[in-house]
Amino acid sequence: MKDTILEVKNLTKQFGDFLAVDNISFSLKAGEILGFLGPNGAGKTTTIQMLLGVTGPTAGEIFYFNKEFKKNREEILRQINFSSTYISLPWLLTVSESLEVFARLYEINDRKKRIKKLLSEFEIEHLIKKQFHMLSAGEKTRVLLVKAFLNYPKILLLDEPTASLDPDIAIKIREFIKKERREYNVSVLLTSHNMSEVEDMCDRVLVLNHGKIIEEGTPEMLARRVSDCRMELTIPKNLERATSIFEENKLTFERDRMRFKITLDEKKVAEILMSLAKARVNYDDISIDKPDLEDYFLKIVREKND
Amino acid sequence: MINFNRVFAMVIRDFLNLRHVPDRLADMFYWPIVDLLLWGLVGLYFAQKNSNFPYAVPVILTGLVFWIAIWRGQFEININLLSEIWDKNLVNILASPLKPIEWMLSFLIFGGIKMLISLAFSAFMAFLLYHFNIFIYGFSIIPFMLSLLITGWAVGFFVAGFLIYFGQRIQTIAWSAVFLIIPFSAPYYSVSTLPPWAQIISKAIPSSYVFEGLRQILFTGNYSSDKLFISFGLNFVYLILSVWFFMFMFEKSRKLGLGRLI
Repeated sequence: MKDTILEVKNLTKQFGDFLAVDNISFSLKAGEILGFLGPNGAGKTTTIQMLLGVTGPTAGEIFYFNKEFKKNREEILRQINFSSTYISLPWLLTVSESLEVFARLYEINDRKKRIKKLLSEFEIEHLIKKQFHMLSAGEKTRVLLVKAFLNYPKILLLDEPTASLDPDIAIKIREFIKKERREYNVSVLLTSHNMSEVEDMCDRVLVLNHGKIIEEGTPEMLARRVSDCRMELTIPKNLERATSIFEENKLTFERDRMRFKITLDEKKVAEILMSLAKARVNYDDISIDKPDLEDYFLKIVREKND
Repeated sequence: MINFNRVFAMVIRDFLNLRHVPDRLADMFYWPIVDLLLWGLVGLYFAQKNSNFPYAVPVILTGLVFWIAIWRGQFEININLLSEIWDKNLVNILASPLKPIEWMLSFLIFGGIKMLISLAFSAFMAFLLYHFNIFIYGFSIIPFMLSLLITGWAVGFFVAGFLIYFGQRIQTIAWSAVFLIIPFSAPYYSVSTLPPWAQIISKAIPSSYVFEGLRQILFTGNYSSDKLFISFGLNFVYLILSVWFFMFMFEKSRKLGLGRLI
């Protein structure tokens, strides 16, 4: 059984009449990567800001390493770090100057060595003398990630860690985070709009909507909550017969000459294929896309908008 | 417990900013020299027109040079706080182990150093331009200067309390707030010159006692420890109140989310 190193109990944040975070409880285990998923305004960033102590909760408690955050703020903040697309580093300071200041704030002994190593890991050593405002969005994101790893954190809070990065760099960063987890048992709490990233990285996902945790599970478990799948068939003959079978079964489908795109419950796939075979409707080509986390996310967003 | 490594880290951060921002370097030298030229010449003109008052130039230059202590004390606290907001770096700072008290201390150290540089430059220029020697006040300049610096800090933390809550929306107060106390501080004239209602306010302003004390030394050669004690007493009260106010507004702002200020 892994140790719980972050425990959140009944956390609530109310801004006037607006309930941003509604009585949520969850935990993070050592070495675990936990994803926060939810549409905009679901309460993800507010929760992270409460976990960092820059927003005061209306109610609830936060425990890191079995210690109450409110009472052990300094000791806890030395052991955690964060990165977010919403923040920046001092615009006119060079990358090395900014990182040096933060390394001092976190009291890192081997400052120069640590900065050099991380810049090399993130492939941005060449930016060391550049002022922060001169960097591209992707370079800024990587420098912020270097800042987040400076203090050998035990817990990392990452708000959209790979936003604005090129796909190849994003993959490298994901691999780096997974390597840190493997080697140093770092725990990560991350929010992302990149579903493949969440599927690839997270052991567990919490789904937030209207400030509440509405689902919890592995990415695969959540994807299974969406039962609709997409089936594509190429039917060269008996097209009218095929159309009437789809209509009789009240399926949603689109037809483009011989190509049919059908949305249906995963459980009905075999039944429909059987009906087509009985009616002597043959197909040349078939593809079935199983639901993934993205489908699940879209379902949540649709439900929110409804 | 205050961790001086973190205080030092923030002082370094402010010095690095100073290195990269010519505006911040210029305000240490540009405004003092403009003030010295403009008001020094006004003083010279009055001294030439009215030979009954030979102290016109020293009085004005004393006011100008010593005012720097208040101005720099206040300005550095507020401008360094605003820098973090402008740079969207506030959350990085506040989510680090740095304590608010350590952050405040870094403002005071950095502001104090800048004040000394600015003051030395102004004193030198006053001597060069008008043969005005600030050391005519002897060692008493140290406690007088310290008292003014503390007044600046008190105003600075009071203004910082508003800035940490309202953010950039009210940033103009960082430049303008301290000027509210100039008329009541009476740096260039006697407190008795003020109308009666203003004299009452002036009695509550620590810097008015300092400038009165400095003029007393200038006119009579006598050092007034009474005035200095009153100014330190008032400063002590105001500094505690302003730090409390800043912390109160900081906590109020934290409740709303400090991340909203970036």
